[in-house]
Amino acid sequence: MASSASRFDDGTFVGFARRHVFVTVFGVAVPLLVFACFIGYPIVYTIYLSFFEWNGMAPQKKFVGFANYAYLLHDKYFYIALVNNAKWLVVSLVFPVSLGFLIAYVMKARLVFAPSLLRTIVFFPVTMSLIAVGLMFLLILNPVFGAFDTLLRSVGLGFLVHEWFGDYRIALYTLAVISGWAFTGMPMIFYFAGLGDVPKETFDAARIEGAGHWRMIRSVALPQLRPVTAIIVMLTLFESLRAFDLIAVLTKGAPFGMTNVLGYLVYMESFWNSRFGYGAALSVVILVIAGSLAALLLGKVLKGAFDV
Amino acid sequence: MSDATLNASAMRRGSFASVLPKLAATLLMLVLAAVWLGPLLLIVMTSIKSNAEFLAGPFALPRSPTIQPYIDVWFGLGFGTLLRNSLIYATAGSALAVTLALVPAFALSRMNVPGRKWIFGLLLTGLMLPQQTVLIPLYDTLRTFHLLDTKIGLIIVHGVYGMPLQVLILRGFMTTIPPEIEKAAYVEGATDFQVFWKVILPLSVPGILVGYTLNFIAIWKEFVFGLVFLNSEENFPVTVGMLKLNSDRYLAVFNLPAAGLVISQLPIVILFILTYRQISGGNLSGAVKG
Repeated sequence: MASSASRFDDGTFVGFARRHVFVTVFGVAVPLLVFACFIGYPIVYTIYLSFFEWNGMAPQKKFVGFANYAYLLHDKYFYIALVNNAKWLVVSLVFPVSLGFLIAYVMKARLVFAPSLLRTIVFFPVTMSLIAVGLMFLLILNPVFGAFDTLLRSVGLGFLVHEWFGDYRIALYTLAVISGWAFTGMPMIFYFAGLGDVPKETFDAARIEGAGHWRMIRSVALPQLRPVTAIIVMLTLFESLRAFDLIAVLTKGAPFGMTNVLGYLVYMESFWNSRFGYGAALSVVILVIAGSLAALLLGKVLKGAFDV
Repeated sequence: MSDATLNASAMRRGSFASVLPKLAATLLMLVLAAVWLGPLLLIVMTSIKSNAEFLAGPFALPRSPTIQPYIDVWFGLGFGTLLRNSLIYATAGSALAVTLALVPAFALSRMNVPGRKWIFGLLLTGLMLPQQTVLIPLYDTLRTFHLLDTKIGLIIVHGVYGMPLQVLILRGFMTTIPPEIEKAAYVEGATDFQVFWKVILPLSVPGILVGYTLNFIAIWKEFVFGLVFLNSEENFPVTVGMLKLNSDRYLAVFNLPAAGLVISQLPIVILFILTYRQISGGNLSGAVKG
């Protein structure tokens, strides 16, 4: 701030550090050190390890060059996981994000009674652990005793009853939808806050022009909310790259690796198959995907979001 | 112009075309409420049924509610210990995260730190990093310091990985404190530390509470770190410990797993009720938007 300007504040780090010793030590140096040890170094070490073969125990790691990456290119399970991540992402963008927007809009437009109650109900699962959510739906979706299939049978839709977690064609979608159920509250509150920031006059002007809700959403709300959408899309991208908990508690990648995603494949290869080098190579792939997505989005979207 | 608006809206309000969206929206909302509340209610209901009542079907109301399943998971399956562990991780881990984040947030909100673009870049990296990609080196590091399978080790990891979001949340909050307040202090000859400690910190208590609560919930939900860095059940957080509920042994009757998962979320439910306004009031988006 301008208040602390002095002859030392010449915009260089040394000048700043001399003027603000306390802030430099505890506000910059200590956090950076901690960051370097627990976040920076692990990233670098993962890249390093991806060029080695290691079972996690042996004192010597064997240098294998790009062998892990060459293996990866022919690994069927890698491609299954990659495609599953893409499917997961599409489900996440379609279901929780658009539904979250719809709920926020309908509440803001005062089309429903008790909007705050609905908001609370939809937001609550955001605070639940995905392990608990997963177990909950394991019970609800049980083909014999579960509430969902019982409901389907009782309304004459018994032909829809499935092994929701066992059928390889739908298991992944079951997981992604459950994840969406738990995530919807997030886009909802972001859009709700975003809609609150749109000047009321903008909506009023459109209403005077005779715009219906469909037009209002398409021509006013969505364009105005583009920055919010960008943040949500980014959050969703990273959430789907992180997908792990539901798979660990519900399917462990089964049946036949059809529900595996990259985040879980890394864990399996490293800690179950003891192929730490290969696990590291898979990690690097995730990092590259996450990094390029972040660069792409950050450059475009968050430019100006921080007043830096 | 205001007359025209009123007239238009009055006409619209009466016509069928304006009732229709409202009707559709309300119907949709009822369905949504059922979809989001239904599973939770069913599970709570299942958790208080006896074995015999369970067989009556998922929608049958419990005629003689029992807390036996809760007693069984608490004493028989060690949920008491699991909850205590999660409480330790969430309390201490969030405290560490907030403590680490306070001064950086102060610096980034009140001062022109050189290279702040880079600092924000690092914070976002920490925020966005998929944890699975750093499990191996972290495992290695913890092993080197003999922190594998210890509570301290997991607390440190939680604290460090909670820090980036805390910096953003606290910074967002501190930016709203008017600069005039600390200007006066600087004029009086206060040092940075005194301004931080005596002016900014007391004024930031509401922001700290919000950040702490969010971090608490995040650690309570966390699973990957606990799964990989711990081996002994006496150290497990509840997310890892409750995995055993997904076994044929306990899934013969659903009341036991149902009680287990209800118990595992109970502290969060209480926290949620107490702090709902603060944690859902757009504070997260505020942190991102600055």
